[in-house]
Amino acid sequence: MAGAKKIIRLLLLAVIGGVFAFAGGVKVLDPASFATDIDHYHLLPWPLIAGVALYLPWLECVCAGALLLKKFRAAALGLMLGMSLVFCAAMVSAAARGLNISCGCFGTGTGHLGLAIARDVLIMAAIAVCLVAEKKRTDSNQM
Amino acid sequence: MFEIRGRIKNRIRPAVLILLVALIPSLGAALWHPKRPSWSRPVAGNEIDLSTAVQWGARVLWVDARPRVEFDRGHIPGAVLLNEDEWDRLLDGFLDAWKRDAFVVVYCSSVSCDASHEVAARLKSEARIENIYVLKGGWETWQAQKK
Repeated sequence: MAGAKKIIRLLLLAVIGGVFAFAGGVKVLDPASFATDIDHYHLLPWPLIAGVALYLPWLECVCAGALLLKKFRAAALGLMLGMSLVFCAAMVSAAARGLNISCGCFGTGTGHLGLAIARDVLIMAAIAVCLVAEKKRTDSNQM
Repeated sequence: MFEIRGRIKNRIRPAVLILLVALIPSLGAALWHPKRPSWSRPVAGNEIDLSTAVQWGARVLWVDARPRVEFDRGHIPGAVLLNEDEWDRLLDGFLDAWKRDAFVVVYCSSVSCDASHEVAARLKSEARIENIYVLKGGWETWQAQKK
């Protein structure tokens, strides 16, 4: 049972890491396009958009890499959950305002906002499960 | 009390470290990335210059807002014709070519023409498409760049 739980936890971590590494990697290659995608949300002023477009993809990649290190795993998951919450809020806000835009999550061809929101919620659930498991693991190590 | 403070420190320190590590390559990207965004909005309003549009590469959907005669004489490769005179007839063709993640760049003849702004405004208000830009200098600028 414990073995199965461990396998599920590792699989979830691999999926979360893969999603963030891919999302970050695609945007790292083309921050100018990503800046334009952020601009379409009409939520931030331009200089901040440029900064976010340069920083956020690298943060996604570093978080994905940090999942490999036990010491940094909980922190990386916490940051990933924070980022996903912000992405979700931005997409819900855009959908509520009737904006006809792509989410910009994975660079080109990222599809409909509704699908992106659903995907984001699933990722947040997976991160939350891993965070709880991580807390249990660290607590049991401390005892 | 000290134990709680210590626990919080232990949780926050790795997060701060991750945030700082991510800052290093992003500073490098801000200085040297060939596709780094500009710190000021590319051009006022929704006008963009040709270099920005070219940088977007395959994501650009060119829309030619000039009359059909001029379009037939020459246009940007891959451009879709959509002008005010034939709006109802041409709109379906545009919508077939449009993808949600495309950057629509509308152009007309030159700096002085307004057709591109009018077509862009109509696409925005009627089709509720957000990613619409107007090419500064239009077809003239495209031809000048080709020379």
